[in-house]
Amino acid sequence: MSTARSSAERGPVGGARAAVADVRALLQLRRAGLPERGRRRLRWAALLVGALTVGAAAGPAYLGGPMPRADAGNVLALLPSMALAFLVLAVVAVVAAAGGRELLPREEAVAFPVSTTADHLGALLLAPLNVAWLLQSWLLLGATSYAVGPDRLPAALLPVVLWVLLATALAQAVGWCVEGVRRGPRGARRFRIALALMVAAAAGVVATGQQTALLDRAPTGVVLDAVLAGAGGLWWPWAAYVVALAAGCLAAVSVGVLPARWALHRPMRAELGLEAGRHPARSDARSDLAALVRVDRASVWRSVPLRRGIAVLAVLPGLVAMAGGTPWHLATVLPGLVAAGGALLFGVNAWCLDARGALWRESLPVAPRTVFVARSLVLLELLLGAGLVTVLLVAVGSGLPSPPEAVAVTACLAVVCVQVVAAGLRWSQARPYAVDLRSARATPAPPVVMVGYSARLALCTTTTALVFTGLAWIGSVPLVLAIAVAMLAWSGRRWERTALAWADPVSRARVVACVSG
Amino acid sequence: MRGLWVRFGEVAAVQGVDLEVGAGHATALLGRNGAGKSTTMRVLAGVVPPTAGEVYVGGTDVARDPMSVKLRTGYCPDVGGLVPRATPWEHLQLAARLRRMTAWEPRARDLLERFALGDVAHRVTSGFSHGMSRRLSVVLAAFHEPEVLLLDEPFDGVDPLGVEATMEAIGDACARGATVVVSTHLRELAMAACEVALVLRGGAQVAALPAAELAGEEGAGVYRALLG
Repeated sequence: MSTARSSAERGPVGGARAAVADVRALLQLRRAGLPERGRRRLRWAALLVGALTVGAAAGPAYLGGPMPRADAGNVLALLPSMALAFLVLAVVAVVAAAGGRELLPREEAVAFPVSTTADHLGALLLAPLNVAWLLQSWLLLGATSYAVGPDRLPAALLPVVLWVLLATALAQAVGWCVEGVRRGPRGARRFRIALALMVAAAAGVVATGQQTALLDRAPTGVVLDAVLAGAGGLWWPWAAYVVALAAGCLAAVSVGVLPARWALHRPMRAELGLEAGRHPARSDARSDLAALVRVDRASVWRSVPLRRGIAVLAVLPGLVAMAGGTPWHLATVLPGLVAAGGALLFGVNAWCLDARGALWRESLPVAPRTVFVARSLVLLELLLGAGLVTVLLVAVGSGLPSPPEAVAVTACLAVVCVQVVAAGLRWSQARPYAVDLRSARATPAPPVVMVGYSARLALCTTTTALVFTGLAWIGSVPLVLAIAVAMLAWSGRRWERTALAWADPVSRARVVACVSG
Repeated sequence: MRGLWVRFGEVAAVQGVDLEVGAGHATALLGRNGAGKSTTMRVLAGVVPPTAGEVYVGGTDVARDPMSVKLRTGYCPDVGGLVPRATPWEHLQLAARLRRMTAWEPRARDLLERFALGDVAHRVTSGFSHGMSRRLSVVLAAFHEPEVLLLDEPFDGVDPLGVEATMEAIGDACARGATVVVSTHLRELAMAACEVALVLRGGAQVAALPAAELAGEEGAGVYRALLG
């Protein structure tokens, strides 16, 4: 029997065209789901991101002082390492998100014949909707712009832009490969062993002091060569670099289709394993609050995306800080980073944990405040736990802090966690979404909304961290404690206001009806 | 319930529905999609507050004291109704704790067995089929032997044995003097389970009549005419 392609099947080019058309249709579908206010906000957000990108690319060149700049050489020397860091973090983001975000959540996409190629292109398209991706891109553009100056700036920036695209496409392909392995037999164990080996290798490099030599030999040196060629007016080598980077980009996007198809056609073993597993009965809880906390905790720890996200957040920033020997007065930034990331796992839409069970839970005879406190406690303990692991890893790398530093880091951890809990619950009340956090690729809100949340959380926690960095530097323990108490009181007041809103039956009914779909 | 109105912004989901069900009796809420059946059930369960009208459940005003209403009612919601990553046993344990039930385990086991859910009592509900989820929702509603049993689409996607078990639960509730309200699209099952039917259309009540009048071929014609 002939196994030739039938007339209904498409070749690679036809398939790619159809996938692009599918992506366009899915984007239109998502856009159609936005109210007019949401569309207006989206336009403003796109304008803001565009303006900030232009500002990051051009601002440092014109505002960085007279040319030639004394430290331009140092900045350029760091460019290959920064480009490599961009690639590594892009890979981590895709791997943590089990292959990247979905244009359409899985449970909604079942009615549509969305191909794996369209899914791959959609994940690539959504990759920039991430504050870490944006900040790193701006950093690369800004550093290049500062070092090169206004002359021949577009030629110097073009290779950087192409590298950002290439690294994103490469990260996506690697992410699909990792997800494919994870979904295979004993995939989780294989992934953990590979991860442990990589961490051990990285620890070995740091312990032997080889990291600088290794970074100097990074293949991302090609980005620096291309930038220098552009800035120096060496047009033939520059054109060769640009063509090579652009071709690499196209190749990475095209090749990524293969691991995407392989991974997405494999069963979701982690999710299915959790669903098929037995959870033996425990003794009765001693109070209503304890009973609610127990169910909420189960909803968090039995969700694949939440478990993976928490593990990454608790360990990764701490490991990087440990490897880099981050000084304690700068370690105050880390708890904020971890808390903001933790809230983005589910805290910004905290009631979605109940999903379709929200209606039943609301029919139970329990005070709304107890429900609110239980959800707040579960979120708070998660953020504090992850932050504490990070701080302990910093301690391994940097030794014991001085008393003011210890107080500043502890106070910063407590303040940012309470700030983030208050903000997350406020947003959960104001803008609930019906989300099933079953799939490892699920997010608690649409990707565009998540960017807004992450930007606001990053701004808030970084500002707080800077305050405590300054206080640690001043070295006054009573001052640190006084500022911490004031900040906690402010966040506590906002939390209380949201608790009152939750206690209102009309407001609560709106949230419950929304998250239960 | 007299003159119930429920508004969501500009939309009036329920427009002046009256309903009175005595103890030991079962009433069916019938109507097309969007007729206001589920919203009415949510108001009776104390989940959605009424915008206007008087709603008393077991003599308690829903608007004034929703907590007492929740203690008296057992509610099976129309959609899902289950916490996805909790097991059936954990659902029952939470309900027992919040309803101050003691020695609840034998009844929980019995109900799970009757609804053929004993084997999956310790598995998370996100892996359940639609029918299994419906059956567990009925178990949760009937678990504490409430004064008022509210079942919204309890037969939807449920196999014949599950339908039988649900019918038994309704019969048991009526026999011990509970009030039962069943909302469903399955007219014949509703007529088998209930004595009175209330037909809603576009959020408003269009008829309240004995179930016998809506049964069989003749009843189907009457029902179609009422739906408009």
